[in-house]
Amino acid sequence: MPSALRVELESLLRHRQLDRTLTTNTWADISRDVAATGLEILDEQLGGGIARGHLSELVGPRSSGRTTVVCRMFRAAANRGEAIAFIDTCDRFDPASAAASGVDLSKLLWVRERGDASRALKAMNLVLQAGGFGLVVFDVADVAPIALRQFPYTTWMRIARVIEGSQTAAVVIAAERTARSPGGVTIALEPATDASRAQWSGAADRARFLRGIELRTRVIGGR
Amino acid sequence: MRIPSYDDLTRPIPDISARETFDEIAKFLPRVDPPPEVRPAAKAADTCELYACLRHGPTTLPLHSQTPPHFLIARDFSPRIERHGTACVVLDVSGLGRLLGTPQTIGAELARAGAAAGADVRIAIARSQTAARLLSIAHPGPAIAAGECAAAVAWLPLETLRVLIEDDAAGDGKATARVKAAVDRLDTFRRWGLTTLGEIAALPSTELSERMGPQGLALQQCACGIDRVPLVPDPGVPRFLQSMELEWPIDALEPLSFVFARLLEPLSLALERADRGAAALRLELRLVDRTTHTRVLQLPAAMRDAKVLRTLLLLDLESHPPSASIDIVTIEIDPVPGRIVQYSLLERALPSPETLATLTARLGALVGDSRCGSPVLLDTWRPDGFEMTRFAPASSSQLPAPSFQLPASSCQLPAPSFQLPASSSQLPAPSFQLPASSSSSTSGTLGTLGTLGTPGTPGTPGTPGTPGTLLLPWR
Repeated sequence: MPSALRVELESLLRHRQLDRTLTTNTWADISRDVAATGLEILDEQLGGGIARGHLSELVGPRSSGRTTVVCRMFRAAANRGEAIAFIDTCDRFDPASAAASGVDLSKLLWVRERGDASRALKAMNLVLQAGGFGLVVFDVADVAPIALRQFPYTTWMRIARVIEGSQTAAVVIAAERTARSPGGVTIALEPATDASRAQWSGAADRARFLRGIELRTRVIGGR
Repeated sequence: MRIPSYDDLTRPIPDISARETFDEIAKFLPRVDPPPEVRPAAKAADTCELYACLRHGPTTLPLHSQTPPHFLIARDFSPRIERHGTACVVLDVSGLGRLLGTPQTIGAELARAGAAAGADVRIAIARSQTAARLLSIAHPGPAIAAGECAAAVAWLPLETLRVLIEDDAAGDGKATARVKAAVDRLDTFRRWGLTTLGEIAALPSTELSERMGPQGLALQQCACGIDRVPLVPDPGVPRFLQSMELEWPIDALEPLSFVFARLLEPLSLALERADRGAAALRLELRLVDRTTHTRVLQLPAAMRDAKVLRTLLLLDLESHPPSASIDIVTIEIDPVPGRIVQYSLLERALPSPETLATLTARLGALVGDSRCGSPVLLDTWRPDGFEMTRFAPASSSQLPAPSFQLPASSCQLPAPSFQLPASSSQLPAPSFQLPASSSSSTSGTLGTLGTLGTPGTPGTPGTPGTPGTLLLPWR
């Protein structure tokens, strides 16, 4: 429930036509207009899904399940009939795995960059400005952090402004927290440090199947 | 000497009274010549109908040719043309006499145009369409029959009539029975001992009608060279072509964009008036080194927005620049029927084809044409067995209905979403399920185990920073 002070502040900004300096979506709009991730647990944590019109981020170290979560997002978006875009900065995406996860590849616009983050950022900007996509994912997970820090500080703000008020949910995949808009969320994936959280099947010592690895999710942000 | 006054230099204007007739007043009105088309002499000359028939020769028509060459020649000579199948076109050359001269001259001009186009064309000119068509069937060379039609075709064999009937039935699937009946009647004529069209024309009409009915009379009229139906002009396909010769050669894209805008805007307007869209853009750049740089852009959907077309042309030229400066710019558009867009309130709007075409072209210029699009898996065992195709998302109405997910409270049941792979090469899809209890792990179907720490209340956001736990299945 927004406080009375905040409501008054927003009304003043709107009266002076300065409301675009902040996000124009109120919390009620965000709760209505979300893109479900396809993971029930995560959706419950997010309050239904990722906010549309905002830039969110999915962070975690290598092998923390980022691609799997993204594939589930793709699948959910494709099932809703939305167009999806994936800007793959380091050309690491495996379409066969995505298809095995149930992603409708015909809905996916895959932009394969050879590691140039600035050019991939331009590609993302083009996709966002074109509009009409339900989900746009920008993968900079394998880009060196120093290359990301070389972006001007207004870069992410500009991208947040591009999609503000649109029906597009933008997600940045990174190894560490990089950028998100005020209405976006940070989904942090943390591998369980306890080795016992790995799930195995079979009782033999030498031949057992790894069934899965438990991951901890932490949702930060989301007003 | 008397100085003339103004009244002396102008004709006196008579006083109009009731007694004066209109003819007397009309003498003072300026004389208006009748328009050229109603001049008596010209009218007499134009009443003489004259038709030319262009028939493609025995050589095979080129495959995938949109417009055969003899159609283009006919279009150049007359706006009133009628197609009969793919091999024959009849054009009205009645008015060409004043421009070219005698029918022989018209025939010679048609033959010259055919030779210039490199087309194997038979030419015949007669006072009726049927006679011209019959003559073009029988005559390999130009045949001019400026006199009586029946006399001109009297010596032709019966076989020409069969070809004529088959031409009319070309492209009409329902006309097979009609053609067969007409051919049977021609066989009957042969059994009667008739060999030429003149002999059919000489048959008594009454008896022929009694034996063969109206179809027999129709054949006799054809054998006499009489048109049973008037010429129905082909509506024609207008060419959407614009060209501009530049005063100074251009060697940069920025000034070229202004040229493109000037050429594409009238083309876009013409397309809109004709309710057509561009299926392909043909750009022809004549360079200063006397070579021609040609680019053909196949568009993903029919579009006619001048700005979009200009952007696509510029992006394509950015990837494929000409080798020298540009002298002449020519743009031709392949038209297709316009696209009808019906939006739905129930489906999510996808990017329009114009937007997608522009976006794909921009991305292609940025990262490479082969590095953006939709992946399509290939039927192979290679790990990188996929290829990139043009991104063209289908509407959701063409997709299967989205699968409904069970609510969180029903997740105690075994998860139904897990499917065994069809083959050993396809790996199972990972899936996450909410367990029965949020604090314990439960065993379920393979790959559905999961635990959750503290989920937020459904419908409200989770507490920021609240950790949860997911199980990432190993594939």
